Amino acid sequence: MRFAVIGVGAVGTRLARQLVSTPGVERVVLRDEREARVEAVVASLGERATIDRRGYDDPVDVDVAVLAGPAGTHVQSARSFLSRGIAVVSVTDAVGDVRGLLALDAEARERGVPVVVGAGFAPGLTCVLARHAAAQFDQVDEIHVAKAGTGGPACARQHHAALGGQAVDWRDGAWVNRAGGSGRELCWFPDPIGGQDCYRAALPDSLLLAPAFTGVQRVTARVAASRRDRLTGRLPMLWPTHPEGGPGAIRVEVRGRRGQAKAIVVFGAMDRPAVAAGAVGAVAAIEAASGHLVADGAAGLASMVEPVRFLAALRDRGVRGAAFAG
Amino acid sequence: MKMFRRALVALGLAGLIAAVLRARGSGGVPPQDGGWRELSGPEFE
Repeated sequence: MRFAVIGVGAVGTRLARQLVSTPGVERVVLRDEREARVEAVVASLGERATIDRRGYDDPVDVDVAVLAGPAGTHVQSARSFLSRGIAVVSVTDAVGDVRGLLALDAEARERGVPVVVGAGFAPGLTCVLARHAAAQFDQVDEIHVAKAGTGGPACARQHHAALGGQAVDWRDGAWVNRAGGSGRELCWFPDPIGGQDCYRAALPDSLLLAPAFTGVQRVTARVAASRRDRLTGRLPMLWPTHPEGGPGAIRVEVRGRRGQAKAIVVFGAMDRPAVAAGAVGAVAAIEAASGHLVADGAAGLASMVEPVRFLAALRDRGVRGAAFAG
Repeated sequence: MKMFRRALVALGLAGLIAAVLRARGSGGVPPQDGGWRELSGPEFE
């Protein structure tokens, strides 16, 4: 299996590390506009990793291209690789990128090349956990996702911009835009993150989850934020981002019916977001390269992977899901 | 005029109290029972 990792930020670096440490991976090609950064990353990864100094969208001889570059670059890159018959895995968490990537569905189906959208911590692991929870229901009615923490600087900027943007909720069969920073809800994440105030934000989870669950009535996504984050969400970032982020968590609440009875299942995970996103992206890329995806076209992980197999692979890489039992 | 001033003071006080509650309020009650456990065993079969 041969992979290209486009962008070696906090997530891309960890993703590449996961790939080179996987048996059966012959080569991992790394691309990034930051010469010194990509050279340092390749030097740390060993002989299976090589630098490719061409542009993000230029041809490359690989089985899967993993897009881990800045928000806003994923659609153009995906279109370029798709046209060459190369499978695409994107770790984007930007609404614009996700919309653009999902719009490639018809072309991906026509070419028989998968485009996996949002293969990170959230969206990504959230989608897998939602699919896993759905197996416990006859009908899924509602899915509510929340996330806390950020990965690297790009993720922190995305988090900041999301709070000042428009949230996209799925409600009774229609998309509803709500103001970012509204709708405060106290969400309980796996320990030690615990309770965090979460708000609506421009998050792409609903765009990926609503099409994956037939008949679902409500899908929402929230992000943990402080009051200072809410206040400054519509301003430029006023302080520098942390290079690696801190611990983070996700929480997926699925409501549905078993027979006539209503029930709720809550799954979650706690990890450093960049570490977990790197593992999720790597497992998704390996599933794509080994032909284990369960659907064609362009879609999120809730539609594309078999959740038990995926979660077991993540567990082997140290990323563990959790269930709330109450 | 006196009534107007009293109304203004009352509104100001209400706003002040609301701002303090919004800034310092905990926002909810933690779960009283249950807890998180790792996904394992039968959930992977």
